[in-house]
Amino acid sequence: MNEPAILIRLDSPARTYYPGQSLSGQYRLESAEGDPIRAVEASVLWYTEGKGEQDLAVHEFWRRDSQGGEGLDPRRPERFSTTLPISPLSYDGQIIQVRWCVRVRAFLSRGRELVAEKGFRLGDRPQQEVSPPEK
Amino acid sequence: MARNFRYFEKKRGHRRTGSRTLGSLGEALFFASLLVLGCAGLVAGILWLLIPEWRLHHGFKETTCLVQKKRLGEKEGDGATLYRPEIKIEYEAQGKQYSPWTYDLNTADMSDRAYSSDRAAVEAALDAFVEGQKYPCWYDPSKPDRAVLVRAYQGWLWLVFLVPASFVMLGAGGLVYTIHHWGKSAEHRAATVQRAQPSELFDLDRPPGPKLPNIPELSDITNSPGTTLAYRLPLSHSPGWTLLGLAAACLLWNGSVSYFAVAAVRSHLAQQPDWLLTLFILPFLAIGVALIVCLVRQLVQALAVGLTLVEISDHPLLPGGEYRLLVSQSGRLAMRSLEVWLSCREEATYRQGTNARTETREVRRLPVFRREGLALDRGQPFQAEGCVRVPAGAMHSFRADHNEVRWSLVVRGETAGRPAFERAFPVIVYPLAGAPVPGSHAP
Repeated sequence: MNEPAILIRLDSPARTYYPGQSLSGQYRLESAEGDPIRAVEASVLWYTEGKGEQDLAVHEFWRRDSQGGEGLDPRRPERFSTTLPISPLSYDGQIIQVRWCVRVRAFLSRGRELVAEKGFRLGDRPQQEVSPPEK
Repeated sequence: MARNFRYFEKKRGHRRTGSRTLGSLGEALFFASLLVLGCAGLVAGILWLLIPEWRLHHGFKETTCLVQKKRLGEKEGDGATLYRPEIKIEYEAQGKQYSPWTYDLNTADMSDRAYSSDRAAVEAALDAFVEGQKYPCWYDPSKPDRAVLVRAYQGWLWLVFLVPASFVMLGAGGLVYTIHHWGKSAEHRAATVQRAQPSELFDLDRPPGPKLPNIPELSDITNSPGTTLAYRLPLSHSPGWTLLGLAAACLLWNGSVSYFAVAAVRSHLAQQPDWLLTLFILPFLAIGVALIVCLVRQLVQALAVGLTLVEISDHPLLPGGEYRLLVSQSGRLAMRSLEVWLSCREEATYRQGTNARTETREVRRLPVFRREGLALDRGQPFQAEGCVRVPAGAMHSFRADHNEVRWSLVVRGETAGRPAFERAFPVIVYPLAGAPVPGSHAP
């Protein structure tokens, strides 16, 4: 039997998004028919990596709970959409990295969890759009 | 991949793994034990302190008694003699005569709390009663041989409840927090905490414009207008605080060391040298002298190197932007060089055992200007203008709980015969998308 997995797909093929732009996509669970799903959480978030303790902040958070113990339908794709914030932008520093991702977490029976991430870059607005600062 | 229940936590690189359930259970047990301990303390306090005191004031019956004898009760405490007033009274209750030794409820109950080391206060309490005279007294109707002459409220009793009450508050608060977060994912907890942040309605310092999460506030930097350019930048930390800290450390260290140093010197003067103490104290003395030298050098530098002022033509800075800069350095000294650069530092805080450590790394150093061979005169500060260029694509200022990207303008001066000085002036770099609307904040 295959291990259950979560598939996340973003609508735009570009991996770099810009502040104010809409990020949308969908997720679904594969091969999880035998294991009832109690709840699914989807988040658009950023977290830090590197030398320091991890910081994490959620930009958008959705949670779906099963109704009356019947479990959620794992095959039904679920859509999400959000408008991205101005900051913090993705960053690859020497001891600090800022990463953005869509994270989906499914809560199965007996306390088991499935987690999947789809990373993307939140980049700054292209340079040519900026008017020079007044001096 | 599905994750099973993990008992032990491991740290793999920068990620922690482990059982959230077990962690929450440990937290819950800790707070529950605090709560139980606090409740037990409160119940014990109520049973042993509060109820007897309440009964004395509301259940005891008043009558009149005759003071027959009085004496100073004594017992040996922890290395000291303790005293209590003891008065023999005679009274009639429920048709019978009683003559117990008593004073207050503690004496009547033979409690150790009746004793005090303050003999004078106890003697004064005895002096308030005269043998052969009548006074009001109060007896316990359920046990008529139990009576008191004094029934004042003991205010300190209420302080005793502070300790168990704080345990109850900590335990209950922690337990509610743990139960509220039980089984929640890191994302769910973060979302809950973010929703609980105070509303922007109360965030009056924030200028109007788009929300800029995790970018430090501008107000501390833009609240001081410049005389030549738009803003005068504040210093990241005043040299006065460094001096004060160094002076305090110097005083504390040398004060402690001098006690042993004097003892060592006395032993030599008395022709009975204590060589062990002398050798032991030498490295500590050396550190003390080094601290004094450091303090004197800092003091001389602070007196010789005057004020450094930095003004900038606009703020916040934007990637790809160019800004005029004015640096003014006062003082009376000859300087080999004065250098200004724009610096970007990453600062990461992490735990190592029980210690919190911070690692800082300068990831960009962009020269603004460098002048050499300057002679500063007290009445005429050195002034120079330059141009700051923020590279296109540069990371904006960023601040989270444990990680920070910090931009600043650094002024470094090298003086002849003295250590170099370095002063940092923080600036905020915005992402292009967060560029403020012109006129949204005024100098």
